[in-house]
Amino acid sequence: MTTGSAAAPAVLPGGRRRSARTYLLETRAQFLSVWRRPAFSVPTLAFPLMFYLFFGIVMPSSGFSAAAPTYLLATYGVFAVLGPSLFGFGVGLAADRDTGALALKRTTPMPAAAYFFARVATAALFGVILVAGLFLLGAYGGGVALHRGQWFALAGAILVGVVPFSALGLWIGAWVKAQAAVAIVNVVFLPMALLSGLWFPITMFPEALQAFAGFFPAYHLSQLALKTIALDLGHPALYHLLVLAGETAFFLAMAVRGYRRFAG
Amino acid sequence: MTDTPPRSRRFLWIGAAALAAFAALLAFLPTPPEAEAPGEANAETRFAIVDTTVFDGTEFLPGRDVWIEDGRIHRVGQRLRLPDDLPRVDGAGRTLLPGMLDAHIHALASALGDSLRFGVTTVLDQFTMTDFAAAKRPAREVIARAAEADLYSAGTLATAPGGHGTQFGVEIETLESPDEAAAFVAARKAEGSDWIKVVSEDGSAYGFETPALDAATVAALIEAAHAEDLLAVVHVSTLERAREAVAAGADGLVHTWADEVIPEEDAHSFAEAGVFVAPTLSVVLSAAGDSMGEALLEETADRASATQRQTLGNTFPRASGSPDTALENVRRLHAAGVPILAGTDAPNPGTGAGVSMHGELRLLERAGLDPAEALAAATSLPASAFGIPDRGVIAEGALADLVLVNGDLEADLTRSLDLAAVWKDGFTVDLALAEDTGSFPAAPDETLISDFEDGLEARFGFGWQVTTDAISRGNSVAELSVEDGALLVEGEVKAGFAFPWAGAIYFAGAEPMQPLDFSGRTTLRFRVRGDGSPLFAMLFGEDPTAGIPPTVPFEAGPEWSVVEIPLADFPADAPEIISAIAFVAQAPPRTFSFSLDDLEVR
Repeated sequence: MTTGSAAAPAVLPGGRRRSARTYLLETRAQFLSVWRRPAFSVPTLAFPLMFYLFFGIVMPSSGFSAAAPTYLLATYGVFAVLGPSLFGFGVGLAADRDTGALALKRTTPMPAAAYFFARVATAALFGVILVAGLFLLGAYGGGVALHRGQWFALAGAILVGVVPFSALGLWIGAWVKAQAAVAIVNVVFLPMALLSGLWFPITMFPEALQAFAGFFPAYHLSQLALKTIALDLGHPALYHLLVLAGETAFFLAMAVRGYRRFAG
Repeated sequence: MTDTPPRSRRFLWIGAAALAAFAALLAFLPTPPEAEAPGEANAETRFAIVDTTVFDGTEFLPGRDVWIEDGRIHRVGQRLRLPDDLPRVDGAGRTLLPGMLDAHIHALASALGDSLRFGVTTVLDQFTMTDFAAAKRPAREVIARAAEADLYSAGTLATAPGGHGTQFGVEIETLESPDEAAAFVAARKAEGSDWIKVVSEDGSAYGFETPALDAATVAALIEAAHAEDLLAVVHVSTLERAREAVAAGADGLVHTWADEVIPEEDAHSFAEAGVFVAPTLSVVLSAAGDSMGEALLEETADRASATQRQTLGNTFPRASGSPDTALENVRRLHAAGVPILAGTDAPNPGTGAGVSMHGELRLLERAGLDPAEALAAATSLPASAFGIPDRGVIAEGALADLVLVNGDLEADLTRSLDLAAVWKDGFTVDLALAEDTGSFPAAPDETLISDFEDGLEARFGFGWQVTTDAISRGNSVAELSVEDGALLVEGEVKAGFAFPWAGAIYFAGAEPMQPLDFSGRTTLRFRVRGDGSPLFAMLFGEDPTAGIPPTVPFEAGPEWSVVEIPLADFPADAPEIISAIAFVAQAPPRTFSFSLDDLEVR
């Protein structure tokens, strides 16, 4: 009893540390593999910044609205995390499976969770880089000034988006082959970004189009982000959070089914 | 335990450093300017006046707290729960009024600043220069610290060629027939006129004759104003023309009349027509020889500006009309239910911008209004009559244009001049008069102005010019020349203007009408020779447009003589502030000739 209980603590820290190291190394590997693939990293990083520069800063100065740089900072922030999450999971997972990389990893002692953790962490790291870039553009190019708490809250709300978007990407990646995944992600990515009001305020659309927004996680996330700067449409935060949680659970459930189909 | 690969550790550090940098970035991104931060917005315009009697524009409400945020009234109530850090002004024993609106003023020069220092936060101007109005109107749209009352203005008035309103030396557009009315009104609207002021005045009430618009043209102007969605107010000085204007659909009359008492049935029909009246008792009574100017001057000697002192001290050349008739007209109109608005017609003789609103309150009380009705006439009624929002009331959301008076105005309206504080847009107004002397360039030490040895030269200043009543459409003429080392002034005083004059004027400043400070000098001294008839020396002060300049007569016989006039003899409060000195012949009409030499201010 005494020795047994003494031995356990001696082993566990090493096990935990090794396990943490595995997660860390897998994250590093995935981040670098994505980072070093310019076909992915350049557009993922450049497009949100470029779009925000045009639509949020350059164009509004010709008479859109004084609040435009601030408003669009939130929505382009959501757009920015949408890309790496959807593509990272949707296309990355499908490619890893098609090339056999996923099967290879499953033969190693690395826990399966480390793979998914690394994917989410990579998307989050890209998100952090993009949010930093957008905030710098907005603050020093668009004259955006927010209270200290709002800067943190906005960054937090945007980065939360990694979770539901990764879940959506996981669903796509779990069901289709890599080549189809690229097409499907694009079909989901661009219309969702537009119809959720990430490029232009949703209120600028015809009402029939506005009705679609409620289905998209990007809409709910953008409303949460806008709420931190008091530019949202005024629905309760809890409503958006519940929809996001529900959709995330649904995406994960569908992903698990698809994963089993391929695995089985 | 010791074999953790450096790669994973390095990645961990890089990742941690990146997140730390991100957090640092968020901690250093710009925040809104302090002034806009909640709770700190315009700290100066955030305060409360507690435990005071509020006159809200209609009635007196004792024991109220008024909470001001961002230049507007945030809450009004009894025992408000005020934030602990909210600065408080003790209102006990005091009365809080909305900033007053003068329903009839001519905003020139210092009138806007003078009005504000006496609690008149908005003026409704009934004729001023178009450029002046255009320059001053924008201030009323912003909440900001201001040294002047906000201006709403009719701009140029509508009158007949040579009629009342054309005598001030300002060229204005006039009209003669109804078919010119629409174009006239459209032109005023384009200039920014906030309403249309129509003059219906033939001079008969004042014992002279002046060209006047006929009834059809007055009616056409009113109709054209309404077609342009503008109010039309009418200057009248007789009952007959008041009836005409009301029959033509005038929205308001901007004087009462002192020629005839209005019959009760007419007063009732005025009320039914929905017309409002700004009786301007201050000026009507002054014209009738019953001016409050001197009394107000005495009460405000310590804080009235030079212009206010001068215009309050001025008198009309001859009395016309009956004070009792004017008061009775107001009493009857008020009793019949016609809205009565307080207006002063400053800076006419016997009135002063701002100051005379306090006199008008007392005159309205004399005409039968109770203190609440008199104060409503100076606050809520002019705002509603002229359709000016957010002013004249103490109500949530209204501008924090406020006047705090020491004492209970419900019991004693004459306390209104005992101002504890005035706020404009929530900003405290400095009630003290900015020092007059010292604010103008000092005159050179040299006492001699001109000895005319080298022609029409002056040692300093802009120099000599002809001055005649031609600037007021008169016909008098004069010529200046230099003969035998002296100034020769020859001319003719001709009929055609009420107070004709002709002569020579010397401008002391580098530009015409720019004042110089002659502090320390006591005497105007010159040599003169003339035809024996009386001549006049006039001293123009800080504001040369402020009414009739202080004048002292002198004799000029056929032999050269030295004339010394102490500056103190000129009826001005600051005779040492001089923008111009004039030497003129006046009525009766005649040809004249005089010579002037060795002019000094010493």
